[in-house]
Amino acid sequence: MDELLKIEHLSVGITSTAGKVQAVRDVSFKLHPGEVLAIVGESGCGKSILCKSIMKLLPKSAKIEGGKIYANGVDITDYSDKDMQKLRGKLFSFVFQDPMTALNPTIPIGKQIAEAILIHEPKLPKEEVYNRVIALMELVGIRQPHERYKLYPYNFSGGMRQRSVMAIALAANPKILLADEPTTALDVTIQAQILDLLKEIQVKLGTATILVSHDLGVVARAADRVAIMYAGKIVEIGTAEEIYYDPRHPYTWGLMQSLPALNKGKAELKTIPGMPPTLIDPPVGDAFACRNEYALEIDYHEQPPMFQISDTHFAATWLLDPRAPKITPPIGGKANV
Amino acid sequence: MKRNPFVYYGKKALIFLVSVFVLSVAVFYISRLAPGDPLMSYYGERVEKMSVEEKEAAREKLGLDDPIHIQYVRWLENAAKGDFGISYKYKQDVTEVIGSRIGNTLILSGIGFLLTFLGALGLGILCAWYEDKWPDRILCKGGTFLSCIPEFWLSLVLILVFAVMLHWLPSSGAYDVGHKNDILNRIEHLILPMVIVVLQHLWYYAYMIRNKLLEETRADYVLLGKSKGLSKKQILFGHCLRNILPSYISIMAISVPHVLGGTYIVETVFSYPGIGTLSYESARYHDYNMLMVLCMMTGILVIFCNLIGQIINERIDPRIRANETNEASEVTSG
Amino acid sequence: MSDILLDVQHLSHVFKLSKHLRLNAVDDVSFQMKKGEIFGLVGESGSGKSTVARCIMNIYQPTAGKILYNDINVCDRREFQKHHKMLEERRQIIFQDSTSSLNQRMKVADIIAEPMHIHRIKPPRGRLRAEAEFQLSYVGLDASYLDKYPAELSGGQRQRVAIARALSMEPELLVADEPIASLDVSIQAQIINLFKHCNKEHGFSILFIAHDLSMVEYLCDRVGVMYHGKLVEVAPTAELFSNPQHPYTQALLSAIPIPDPIVERNRKRMDFDEMTFEREGALTEVAPDHFVLRKEDRQ
Repeated sequence: MDELLKIEHLSVGITSTAGKVQAVRDVSFKLHPGEVLAIVGESGCGKSILCKSIMKLLPKSAKIEGGKIYANGVDITDYSDKDMQKLRGKLFSFVFQDPMTALNPTIPIGKQIAEAILIHEPKLPKEEVYNRVIALMELVGIRQPHERYKLYPYNFSGGMRQRSVMAIALAANPKILLADEPTTALDVTIQAQILDLLKEIQVKLGTATILVSHDLGVVARAADRVAIMYAGKIVEIGTAEEIYYDPRHPYTWGLMQSLPALNKGKAELKTIPGMPPTLIDPPVGDAFACRNEYALEIDYHEQPPMFQISDTHFAATWLLDPRAPKITPPIGGKANV
Repeated sequence: MKRNPFVYYGKKALIFLVSVFVLSVAVFYISRLAPGDPLMSYYGERVEKMSVEEKEAAREKLGLDDPIHIQYVRWLENAAKGDFGISYKYKQDVTEVIGSRIGNTLILSGIGFLLTFLGALGLGILCAWYEDKWPDRILCKGGTFLSCIPEFWLSLVLILVFAVMLHWLPSSGAYDVGHKNDILNRIEHLILPMVIVVLQHLWYYAYMIRNKLLEETRADYVLLGKSKGLSKKQILFGHCLRNILPSYISIMAISVPHVLGGTYIVETVFSYPGIGTLSYESARYHDYNMLMVLCMMTGILVIFCNLIGQIINERIDPRIRANETNEASEVTSG
Repeated sequence: MSDILLDVQHLSHVFKLSKHLRLNAVDDVSFQMKKGEIFGLVGESGSGKSTVARCIMNIYQPTAGKILYNDINVCDRREFQKHHKMLEERRQIIFQDSTSSLNQRMKVADIIAEPMHIHRIKPPRGRLRAEAEFQLSYVGLDASYLDKYPAELSGGQRQRVAIARALSMEPELLVADEPIASLDVSIQAQIINLFKHCNKEHGFSILFIAHDLSMVEYLCDRVGVMYHGKLVEVAPTAELFSNPQHPYTQALLSAIPIPDPIVERNRKRMDFDEMTFEREGALTEVAPDHFVLRKEDRQ
């Protein structure tokens, strides 16, 4: 099997009082062993829901409405909660945004890690479990693990808690790690340490990672491939180099142009006018059309297909159609840093 | 940073003693300020035929003619020696009268208390497990309906159905005459009052458990638990229940008087010979000594249970202990 | 009048947590802000940067030190009372969480007009509502938002309403406490542009508190770095970012992620060990206008 995870035409809907929100619309991608795939987008674009739907950790109001999820070549789309229990932790694990609330406050850290080991190997002798916990704590960079085994989450700083969450996530040697904004709640210096840790673990254990983030800087540090999401869809996907140095979708251009790091010395930061559409009743054509200064007539009527640019690089914009006018991207190339 | 346990418990004991003292003063004054004549309960009908001089003499004999603060000091002195005076109504030592009845109340309220809290825990977990499915919905609706019915009315309905119409169960008392040591007979008498005592508070606490549990299941750590592969059962019992138990136990401690108060009313309705009926009578007949002791007993229990609840909360739940440590570490690092 | 707008001298603020516990949130911090300047204050959470802002706005009474605003000591009760109307009009603050700092039960128009109403200022454009509409259009929202409630707005829009409210008083000093931390990248850019515009066109001085250093680098004229209640380094932005002196500043700058994969992957990160942090010492000038916290004897 070449890919660990294959998502095909996945759609997720959330029922709300105002109507059904189409949070994820027709998303397809593959995840290869040992790679870091970053999913980037603004709040409300569906990146977090996409991530949770893979592990079936969706809230009750959300439902997978179409498409397939293949894990290790097996179709798990219709798996029940019981079936998923066997896969969770073992095949894939989750790292959450807020380490302050992700740990049970009344149970010592060591015990919480041990629990994650025991779920999948309930007959493991106590001694062995303890050693495994210590090894995990060392792996994620918690110093003095023996002393800290018995401490409660409140004894830990934010960075330490996120390391503990990662130890729990890695306890059963998962093949895929899903990290939902794992550094957003942390300070810059701690963020850098956690990102380095993610990278280190990926190298050491060969764990494939899906990194969800809104921060293009964070993604640049950690990702091998990048998918840009807008209004529930992946609008561009490619290797990190392709996305950063040769972006093709106008939304990706907009995101890059609004970054101060790429606009040093300019009088004004470029902004994307308007607001993302509500996904209760998404527009017929390209959801980005009304904010897109390069929008074509067809954008308002028909959704663009994924155009292939290279073996790895795809983008959903009509600008890539051979009939479209040629536009020089306002950003891209290595010269802009 | 560790607190000295002697200082900690010493402080709590001091608070306890001060509260009890304040309570005794308050009860003593208020009971004597209430209108009515205590001589009525001592001499009964005869009081009306007594002359003014005779009344004066009787008051002096019972020590009722002194100013209230002197009466209080005298009561305190005697109480310190273990002498709580005699009951005006029963003409017996107060302690003897209470002693003969307290057992009945302890059985009723004690078993009622345990049944209430175990039942509430079970019902709450059941509802949380089946959140928004039919068992939860039925229990929620039924429970709310039940808790809207006033207990004295429900008592009367139960008496009417099970005692008067069906003749299955006795309607009053703790045992039939001559059956004082017959356990089965006692149980028969206990069933109806017990049902009322339990039903009074059952849903209140069950609903609390349900909501607290559901609140916990919305916490982020539950998602993490799920993502490591824990089952619903492991999460609900191993994590959520564990986290709400300390606060539940402390609420249990605080609600001891709550349940006990309910028992008093039930006792009166079922003429159950316990502390409840006794309190009611003593207040009605100005049986000062009796009232004083009963109020003090109940009051001490309330204060004591509240303190226990507080201690449980502060000692068991690591989140509360956390605040102390956090503050300390912030200071050392900052 | 001098060109110094704000002069913070040896400011300290201690939180009393309990009888035995004290937290030195701000410890002997001194800096100055010139008129028309954008001054950035950066540091990790808990470094005391928000406490400084709140002391400047008279939300907290500092434990020690002085804050001179246009040569008025705002920490002195009597002096503050004498000038409090002027101070409250000229200084405005914007918080990170506009959801909780806007009254949920008031309409946008009323929220914006409230400060004018309180200070009984005659609105330059006749009616309060017209004034509110003008301020709203200034921050890039049209009149249709006037009758909405905060709950109906997105995070970015709420933050604009908060800014419009602050601008309605035409303040001299705008204190912005993490104003963009909870916003999306493209919205952040809009708010930053707005700040820049306010500063350039209207000469507002802005104290910009943030943990996002790339925004600070883009927006601010000078930057102060705080760590554990101490101001460890102050310098003009370009100087600070090209030539950081304090080890903590160096670690902080090396941790900013750069949106460029090749550069970022090969970058070496510097660590700062909390244990080596030296609290003692004073700000020493190492280059023109560039101050670093150092022990005097080291020179």
